[in-house]
Amino acid sequence: MMRALAIGGFLVGLALFGLVEWLARREGSKIPTLGELCGYVMRYEVGPVPVGRIGLFGFWWWIGWHFLAR
Amino acid sequence: MMEQPHDLTVDTPRTWERPVVCVPVLVALSLVGGRFPSFSTEANVYVFGAGGVLIWLGLTKRVQARPAPERLRPGAVWWTLPVVVFGIFEGVTFIAAAGDDFPTFSLLADPLLEDRLVRSAAWLVWLSAFWGLVRR
Repeated sequence: MMRALAIGGFLVGLALFGLVEWLARREGSKIPTLGELCGYVMRYEVGPVPVGRIGLFGFWWWIGWHFLAR
Repeated sequence: MMEQPHDLTVDTPRTWERPVVCVPVLVALSLVGGRFPSFSTEANVYVFGAGGVLIWLGLTKRVQARPAPERLRPGAVWWTLPVVVFGIFEGVTFIAAAGDDFPTFSLLADPLLEDRLVRSAAWLVWLSAFWGLVRR
């Protein structure tokens, strides 16, 4: 029962990512795409340090290591 | 020769940035990555190597980047919905630490990723998204 709840919850979460991206890609949408959102975050800098780029690159690198190497 | 005004020139992507080149490269890299099982030295080296090269490309801006929006549209708040739903389930299953009875996303993904084809597909998703980030 709890296992099914967890699987269902994750599937709903993933489906929501797909749904919001689909809504964002419609003509005249007020929702930015996930790529635009990432691009905006990656603009963030503290002085000369591109904190947004480093943060997103580091996060995605960790995701790859977590699922594909360990 | 007359110089072109800057706003009339179009930056063309380099050969290796074109989809006809980078897509087959990403597929080939994914097929290789899919051969390495979890916890192997090869998998760790490959992830750190591929990620390191992509981060180097992204931080040195050697790849032509797409223009980033200066402001977000108001609908950006909708992105919190999937993040919160996914985050709640990941957080609760992690804290509960109930193993297969109430598994985290990682525990659910592990048996699927043992299949070489699924593993290669996961590599392709990871590398393609990383390449997309580098180009932002």
